[in-house]
Amino acid sequence: MTGAVTSLWRLLNPARLTGPLFDKELRVSSRRKRNYVLRFVYVALLTAFVAVVWHSMVVWQVSTTFQKSRMALAGKTITSTIVVFQFAATQLIAIIMLSNSISDEIYHQTLGLLMTTPISSFQIVMGKLSSKLLQLVLLLAISLPLLGIIRIFGGVPWTYVLSSLCITLTAVIFAGALSLFFSISNRRAYVVIIKTIATVGLIFGLLPMIIGLLRTVPMTFIGLRVPRPFSYPVFWHALSHLSPFYAMSFNTALLMSPSLPAGVARFYWPVHCAVMLGLSGLLIAVCTGTVRRVALRQATGQSEHIPKRRRRTTGNWPGRTARSEDIGGVVRRVRGWPVFWKDVRAPLIQGFEGRNSIIGLVVTIGALLLTYGAWAREGYLDEDFTHVSYAVMFILIAMVFHIVFSASSIASEKESRAWPLLLATSMDDWQILAGKAAAVFLRCSVVWLLLAGHVVVFVFVGYIHPIAIVHLLMLVAWLVVFLTSAGLYFSAGLRRTTSSVVATFALALALWVVAPMVLGLMATISRSEQMARIGVCANPVVQAAVIMHGAGGRYNAHAALAKLRYDWIDESLDAGSTTAVLAVTMLIYASLGLLFAWRAKRRFRRNIF
Amino acid sequence: MIRTVNLSKDYGDLTAVANLNLTINQGDIFGFIGPNGAGKTTTMRILVTLLEPTHGTAFIDGLDVRKDGKKVRRLVGYMPDFMGVYDDLKVFEYLEFFAAAFGIERGKRKAIVDGVLELTDLQSKQNATVDSLSRGMQQRLGLARVLIHDPKVLILDEPASGLDPRARIEIRELLRELKRMGKTIMISSHILSELEEICDHVGIIEHGRLVFSGTLDEIRPRLGIQSKVRVKVASNQDKAVELLSALPEIRDVRAINDYISVTFHEGKKIDGLIARTLVKADLDVVFLQPEQLKLDDAFLQLTKGIVH
Repeated sequence: MTGAVTSLWRLLNPARLTGPLFDKELRVSSRRKRNYVLRFVYVALLTAFVAVVWHSMVVWQVSTTFQKSRMALAGKTITSTIVVFQFAATQLIAIIMLSNSISDEIYHQTLGLLMTTPISSFQIVMGKLSSKLLQLVLLLAISLPLLGIIRIFGGVPWTYVLSSLCITLTAVIFAGALSLFFSISNRRAYVVIIKTIATVGLIFGLLPMIIGLLRTVPMTFIGLRVPRPFSYPVFWHALSHLSPFYAMSFNTALLMSPSLPAGVARFYWPVHCAVMLGLSGLLIAVCTGTVRRVALRQATGQSEHIPKRRRRTTGNWPGRTARSEDIGGVVRRVRGWPVFWKDVRAPLIQGFEGRNSIIGLVVTIGALLLTYGAWAREGYLDEDFTHVSYAVMFILIAMVFHIVFSASSIASEKESRAWPLLLATSMDDWQILAGKAAAVFLRCSVVWLLLAGHVVVFVFVGYIHPIAIVHLLMLVAWLVVFLTSAGLYFSAGLRRTTSSVVATFALALALWVVAPMVLGLMATISRSEQMARIGVCANPVVQAAVIMHGAGGRYNAHAALAKLRYDWIDESLDAGSTTAVLAVTMLIYASLGLLFAWRAKRRFRRNIF
Repeated sequence: MIRTVNLSKDYGDLTAVANLNLTINQGDIFGFIGPNGAGKTTTMRILVTLLEPTHGTAFIDGLDVRKDGKKVRRLVGYMPDFMGVYDDLKVFEYLEFFAAAFGIERGKRKAIVDGVLELTDLQSKQNATVDSLSRGMQQRLGLARVLIHDPKVLILDEPASGLDPRARIEIRELLRELKRMGKTIMISSHILSELEEICDHVGIIEHGRLVFSGTLDEIRPRLGIQSKVRVKVASNQDKAVELLSALPEIRDVRAINDYISVTFHEGKKIDGLIARTLVKADLDVVFLQPEQLKLDDAFLQLTKGIVH
């Protein structure tokens, strides 16, 4: 009997799933101060946010009866914002944390070593995944007492808190598993991060959008008349159960307005979570198989971890035998700045001679044209909010690109141990810095060109006022200088790409989310909103939205420059004042950027080895 | 060509290099040896301006590494104890990139890259990706890279580590060729027998302090080692021992297996005397061989092998 119980316990013991790798990862992460700092900052951030909303929505109201009536709304607002913030932040952190989980093992040649032990490849995958996810579960758990307290305000059912946490958790597991999957075949963390974000965006964002658009755009548009394959409620019903983004927005919409719109099917969050867990399980199974194959190759001295047909596209691994030499492709001659040449040599999307980059660009432009078609069909293309959406989207994507490319620019060289070789050349540190910065800009220019193309085309069409070009140029200028320099600064100071990317993201978050929040809190306490306004207005996304709101749309495009109005927070400014606001922001951030660049250069020769 | 003056480097409480005074002459191959953690790599990194010394300084061809970093880097070719690999770069591109990084004009680069590829026998690999090369080939490529800007001084940290015997011999030959070309080479290695064969001078470092610097011949008196000769006679070994023991110039005679080890009094080495004595006594001398001081032995005697 005892033996049977022991056997059953052994079988069901969660430690059996993860193996000793889980313990090792936890031990290592417990020694890292940054994990404790992250938790502290997270709690501080949430508390500050609750305080801001509480003050702005409840405390100011003088009547007690009115205060009580506002409490439920405040509770809902706080909870839904925390939940949505957690949903986005934890996925991003999971992607970053797991971006080098397997690649590090391969690079340090410890994966083959693990295969000489009784640890299975499933345990390797689960050990890596669960140890990182545990950190995130801790973050989510930290917020629970806060969410519990907010329930006192009323209006927030426990089911919402529970369902949102489950949706977040399953989304995080999927995003983490996807990141881990890409880290098997890509050494560089930034490639993994971009690929994972792009894949998540494609599967859960773009594809449903395109399907939705295809449903709404009649085929008569291209001269065909085909029956619609599914009805509107069925489409949303399916979407809310398949995509975590739609699931979360649906769940939150239900909190704010519990009555379902007519014709909309019900949303069952456990079904969505089961779907996500199923997808994650599938991904983990694929990862397990691939990791085993790679580990066995390494253990048997073959070293190359990727099948030959893929080696040319991602062949970055050390220790290959002479037999595996890649002698294909064209030798490219070095032109211009050597650092710039080297950094831009690799295509944005890995593939033979940049073929995949071209395919990616064509697909992106195709998807964009499709969305334009859909907006035109709905009659929204000449509305300001359409152009606000595009500008914000391009700015956000470009920000992610700038952060990831600049923050990984030097750190990745440190990881591949090529950085000391570069510093041992006779190149000036400024030359290296300028080359790196220019390469980052060039690699991100695809997104800027898409934004420029959008604006220029619609200026000519007459849907955007030409002044938007000048204003956006000012915004882009400081954003490029600031983010590139900040990324290079962290990249020069930190040894790991992941740390550097996280630090740069944290800076952006601190400046454009946390600082306005803290200023808002101070403003509500001091009853002076000037500082809070400045904090919010310095946010690049807010600036992009204000610029396009003021200059976008048919009406604004044809208005005289003097008649344009820009709605900054609680204040409407004309074009001249808006230009002044943008110029001041540009000056401050560009100066900060140059300061970061100077500090980055100073840190070049520290922490080299 | 290379001179360090009271060179010191501290990492917090740990002193990696302490008041190191070293001189390496132009055209020399200098073997830099010491136990793990002795401070060899730190010294080399200071010399190539990748680390700032805590105290003291170093000069390369009269240029101060603290003040003239950029000029020093033009003079020096540094090969670290690891291979820095750029993803997806081919051998030719890798070398041309470093040629460009050293400011070599575009028109001259191809010829220079072809030249170093030929010197390091890597022509057939110029279209291969760097990270696909074998360890031996990567070491050659590392040497090709340090030669790309034709430096006067080569600083090579463990260039033969992890190589098979053939590759090690090839690297050794390459270093001899570089010496013939007039390069000053500072090389660290754990394979002391190899350094012995190619080095003009050696420096032995322990706990960041230089415990010896000079030629191998200069180590002998430093260690108080007397000259020794090995003798083998065809037969009647006991008689040979008796005869040699009677000679006043000889301090000690021992029969070890089938040969005799003869130790002279300090400062005396009279090989001909032994041969004459044995032949006169009708003993057939099979061989008469001076015992060489091995670098390994000197290293073991001079260092305690304690790691920081």
